[in-house]
Amino acid sequence: MDKNLISISKPIEKSAYLNTEKVKSKPKNNIRWRTIVTLAIYLIVIPAVIIIGVKLFADRKYNIISIVIAFLACVPFFIGFEKGKAGARELVVIATLTAISVLGRLIFAPIPGFKPVTAIVIITGIAYGMQAGFMTGALTAVVSNIFYGQGPWTPFQMFVWGFIGLLAGLISLRGKRPHWLLLILIGVIGGVLFSMLMDIWTVLNMDGAWNWSRYAAALVSSLSFMAIYAVSNVIFLLVLTRPFLEKLNRLKTKYGIFNQV
Amino acid sequence: MKEKAFASYHPIILFVYFTVTVFITMFTMNPVLLGISFVGSIAFCGMLIGGKELLKSLAYSVPILIVIALTNPLFSHNGETILFFLNDNPVTAESIWYGVAIAVMIISTYYWFKCYHAVMTSDKFVYLFGRFLPKLALLLSMTLGFIPKLKRRYREINDAQKAMGIYTSRSYVDRMRSKIRVLSILLTWSLENSVDTADSMRARGYGLKGRTSYAIYRWHKRDTIMACLAFALSIGIIWLMFSGYGGFNYYPTLASVDISVLAFILYAGLFILMFLSTVIEIKENVLWRYLRSKI
Repeated sequence: MDKNLISISKPIEKSAYLNTEKVKSKPKNNIRWRTIVTLAIYLIVIPAVIIIGVKLFADRKYNIISIVIAFLACVPFFIGFEKGKAGARELVVIATLTAISVLGRLIFAPIPGFKPVTAIVIITGIAYGMQAGFMTGALTAVVSNIFYGQGPWTPFQMFVWGFIGLLAGLISLRGKRPHWLLLILIGVIGGVLFSMLMDIWTVLNMDGAWNWSRYAAALVSSLSFMAIYAVSNVIFLLVLTRPFLEKLNRLKTKYGIFNQV
Repeated sequence: MKEKAFASYHPIILFVYFTVTVFITMFTMNPVLLGISFVGSIAFCGMLIGGKELLKSLAYSVPILIVIALTNPLFSHNGETILFFLNDNPVTAESIWYGVAIAVMIISTYYWFKCYHAVMTSDKFVYLFGRFLPKLALLLSMTLGFIPKLKRRYREINDAQKAMGIYTSRSYVDRMRSKIRVLSILLTWSLENSVDTADSMRARGYGLKGRTSYAIYRWHKRDTIMACLAFALSIGIIWLMFSGYGGFNYYPTLASVDISVLAFILYAGLFILMFLSTVIEIKENVLWRYLRSKI
């Protein structure tokens, strides 16, 4: 029989301590393994795809290469989530937030471009960290395109929205409401980034290679959308951040979720 | 929902089929191959969504096709046959043809995705990825399940708020504020609820070892036949394309279409591959009518 269980006060503490150490050592290993996979994909697989693509397709057909890269860029996060410690509660909360952001796209459907999606993804990133932000963003792209129609642009939207969520989690203190100036900045950058990256896809899809004049034209023609994205992001962030963060933080303390994810 | 003939094949076959068709379409610039893909995608899409819907969507996509073709000379001044000058920049016949090819490519891709949308329902997608990414697949299927549920709740909250007389004016800002208010209420309601769902999942043994999930899809004999046929065709087509058959250049002058024997085999192979889905659909429809007429 375990000696620790016989005497009550101190040894139990000790055994509890042993237990926590056991639990702690596992994610450490996990994280190292994840880092290796991430580095391998970013430093070896993606450049390899580019080189193979350039050699095989004679420096053209960047439309196919870029889709593969955008998809590969998401893979480390998906693997990290799959192998990570997210339990049933975290899973369901991410699903709910994604469903709400998709629904936001439907609710505000009458006004083109004026959508709370990016704002909700950013708030999730702030409240629950980088991984939750990325998953909500990437999943929103996949799910909302199930309703609006998938296309070659899906991997791009996945990556861009996921990346915005990740960035929000990275630059802000977990669960703390950023200064309103920072919120405005995040909103504007999010909108501009989304528009500019999606225009890169437009150019690659049409030319198969890079074309500056086409990119300039695409940027100019989508300028109004870029402005709407940025303005709507700022408005939604300023209005939604306080109530949403309050609710998400409350959930976090009440149920103890996203503590080790 | 009416089960379509091609859609009843195993999800893996459907997924690979669409991946191959889309990638071939996006890869090639050969007018013959693009034409086959264009006609193939529109024919299959017409079979799936019906002639009326197809005409409606064509009414949108044909003008886009024309615009893309006509604006291409603005961005690309390559080509030798100069038609006229626009703002000191040459407008060449080659760049217009290139624009047409690009437009055809984009529209065929669009229609192949439309077919994908009709054939690969979300449950098939979740089934396909649930095998090696169970957590992600669960996340995806849960999100898909939440959306209609939350939509209903959204309507309920909206009605209740309206009955209370909040933000009923027609002003733009008020309508916006009411929507945001409802969204915020929806969040509170759904988050608490979702944690209950999670606890109930855990109580039923989610995440334990040895749990399996039910799948409705079985691998039949015809799946094997279809897989072999499509696989052989795809490998043949890709091999021929990478050996340089069916290549085509638009600049500096339009190349002539490859009419060697192997190129013809390539065209025929792609034709069979891309019309396989349509033929299966037609065959099943004819068979169905025939069997019904005998009753």
